[in-house]
Amino acid sequence: MWNRFRNPYAGLPVLAIVLAVLPLAFSNPYHYDVAIHVLINAVVAVGLNLLIGYAGQISLGHAGFFGLGAYTTGILSGVYGWPPLLSVLAALVVVGVLAFAVARPILRLSGHYLAMATLGLGILISIVISTEGWLTGGPDGMIVPTISVFGWELFGETRWYWVMAVLLLVAVWLALNLIDSPVGRALRAVHGSEVAAQVAGVNTISYKVLIFVVSAVFAALMGTASAHYSGFITPDLAGFFHSIEFVTMVVLGGMASTYGALIGAVILTTLPQLLTGFDDLEMVIFGAILMAVMIFMPRGLVPTLTARLRKGS
Amino acid sequence: MLGEFLQYLFSGLTTGATYALVGLGFAIIYNASHVINFAQGEFVMIGGMGTVMMMAAGVPMPLAVLGAVALAVIAGVALDKLAIERARDADIVPLIIITIGASLFLRGLAQYFWGKSYHSLPAFTGDEPLKVLGATLLPQSLWVLGVAAVLLVALAFFFNRTLKGKAMLAVSHNKDASRMVGINPRFILMLAFALSAALGAVAGIVSAPITLTSYDVGIMLGLKGFVAAVLGGLGSAVGAVIGGLLLGIMEAMAAGYISSDYKDAVPFVIILLVLFFLPSGLFGKRGTERV
Amino acid sequence: MSALMTVEGLTKTFGGVNAISELSFEIQPGHIHSVIGPNGAGKTTLFNLVTGVYTPTEGRISFAGEDTRGMPPHALARLGMSRTFQNLQVCMNMTAPENVMVGRHLRLDRRFLPALLRLPAVTRGDRACREKAAELMRFVGLERYLDADADAMPYGALKRLEIARALAAEPRMLLLDEPAAGLNANETAEIDALIQRVAESGVTVVLVEHDMKLVMNISDHILVLNYGKKLAEGSSEEIRHNPEVISAYLGAA
Repeated sequence: MWNRFRNPYAGLPVLAIVLAVLPLAFSNPYHYDVAIHVLINAVVAVGLNLLIGYAGQISLGHAGFFGLGAYTTGILSGVYGWPPLLSVLAALVVVGVLAFAVARPILRLSGHYLAMATLGLGILISIVISTEGWLTGGPDGMIVPTISVFGWELFGETRWYWVMAVLLLVAVWLALNLIDSPVGRALRAVHGSEVAAQVAGVNTISYKVLIFVVSAVFAALMGTASAHYSGFITPDLAGFFHSIEFVTMVVLGGMASTYGALIGAVILTTLPQLLTGFDDLEMVIFGAILMAVMIFMPRGLVPTLTARLRKGS
Repeated sequence: MLGEFLQYLFSGLTTGATYALVGLGFAIIYNASHVINFAQGEFVMIGGMGTVMMMAAGVPMPLAVLGAVALAVIAGVALDKLAIERARDADIVPLIIITIGASLFLRGLAQYFWGKSYHSLPAFTGDEPLKVLGATLLPQSLWVLGVAAVLLVALAFFFNRTLKGKAMLAVSHNKDASRMVGINPRFILMLAFALSAALGAVAGIVSAPITLTSYDVGIMLGLKGFVAAVLGGLGSAVGAVIGGLLLGIMEAMAAGYISSDYKDAVPFVIILLVLFFLPSGLFGKRGTERV
Repeated sequence: MSALMTVEGLTKTFGGVNAISELSFEIQPGHIHSVIGPNGAGKTTLFNLVTGVYTPTEGRISFAGEDTRGMPPHALARLGMSRTFQNLQVCMNMTAPENVMVGRHLRLDRRFLPALLRLPAVTRGDRACREKAAELMRFVGLERYLDADADAMPYGALKRLEIARALAAEPRMLLLDEPAAGLNANETAEIDALIQRVAESGVTVVLVEHDMKLVMNISDHILVLNYGKKLAEGSSEEIRHNPEVISAYLGAA
């Protein structure tokens, strides 16, 4: 029984069915809208989990990559009139190159110093975005055109839902593939014991750089999706708080668990929606929930619960 | 020329003193527990906003100041007792999220009870600027610098001359050994949180007449205080103070001579450069990992 | 026969103190070599220098005909160097067989895109690697733990797991840092037998060990360190009767 449970690919068809059936429960565009945001965040979290959960390297700045992706495609397509598909590609390249350029010096650091450096990087990106108002519209944000793929316009909640759902399935599949491969084991070994990994022949810094760039590109891709979907972007997308939200999705759901990251994204995206009824106390309740989960389940929801189930069986 | 330079220096030292006190708070808690307390900035907010609100309720200023510091200390001790102490064995990342959750919690409470608007405190001793070599200096800046200096001297005395202070240092060096000589690390941790909260609150109070205060001032101040602590080398109290002052001065110089648009970016550019070239901060320990 | 490893004038200074000073020796291929010495003699430091974990302050190291001074551990691994650790360095976030598979890293298809897309080349290699890992776990006596998570294994088993991981690389030289530390007499005897089997398979074994009986029984060649310097070198018979060794090490113990 547990062997089957431990085969992570068993979750893929389940996820596909859930995603396919879910719209039956949607009664208005708002439901779709929340679901799309969940999907966008889930892909970011799955990517970030590769870095934080598996390779053990924290980043408090991934919203910077998300925002940079959003603004790059927004500016290229909106201001310079590039076809959106091309501007999305360009955004991925820009973020990939930036992440690669800073990765080596940043990932030589560890622990709180790594947290500081990634935090600083993310904040710098968000400051640049809100300061260069002539290009980005500044703190007021900017409008982003819709996207069309070979004449098929990606517009409206339903279409976006299906595209994002497929994207999530692909992202989960890719992440599962990577984790259970020589590359993935090398990454997990970096987390488990960096020196042991090195002695086994793993060029640890190269692997850290690799996964940093991959997770940054995941974030950038979803930044571009978010920009073209909502049609409007603000510098908050790149802000410190957004970075923290991404990290929290990973940690809340469960580090080193791809489905955990997914569940973390579901919870963290829907929670504020559920809390809107509490108006001014939203932030208080959100903060309290973060603390409570981390205090009582520091390993995150999914690993804690599966460990309990396993003991119970 | 000189006047301009001095002007920037004064303003940099004033903000730098605030950063130094916040950074020192980070260092004290880090030393006692290896926790980075992202709620540090909220203590600053509680100090400033608490004083404003109590004064608005008719409490005389000195009492309001004491009350606000007490409020921050209560928040700090509660954070330690209710959250940090219960999550002692957690990894770095969960601990970071706990303190961030705490900062949201405190900020949310402030917003709920005290509202979202900006407030100002009256300057302690008038706001007639002093003229110094062609630069103007607010009397309140002298208060900021003076209070920071007095606190630093008091802390130096506390750590080097009193039993409790020495116990805190001992715990930061070797927790197990200090437990064996009868030091209670839980008490020390609580003391660290109380002390850091008080430092933050005082920084928030003395700077409020200059910079205004609101429920969300803690965000940037907390982050910059963290930068100050890392710049000085995590865990070094002297480093955090020097780091804070340096940050304030460089920020003011960059704003004055280059562009004020990127004033808030200066600390983060500096810390990235420092970490790239000196991975353990300006005064941090370097060592070889033992395997 | 030319030496597999040559160390000349090796010195390592920590904060002005010489942990290793002016050390020279050779390791001949084949056989079991041991490094012994009292606590703090510099044995583990020597291992860390030789395997690239530390960079020497002075001196030359060559391994398999290449100058390896300053080479990082992962580059040395490519030349056929492998090791275990005195304080365990097992990846507790992985299963036992996965730990062994990490040891085989350099012999696998490590390309990123094929791994991401789970191409047959990668899965085929991985399946073979999994079998090899199981085989190695049986070789070191861990057949009970083929499905275990590393963090569920007892200390003695983890020590063997490290050996299996090191062997997975099919190294030319295997450095074992106190493989018997913390083990009882029975377990020590088993490790003893295991080391001999490894040596018989053609791997050059270098051993740091406190357990004198183990060292004397199985070593073909012994290097004695004291305060970071070479005190003596020779066969176990020679070392056993070396008066300096007796006074510095055995006498003091």
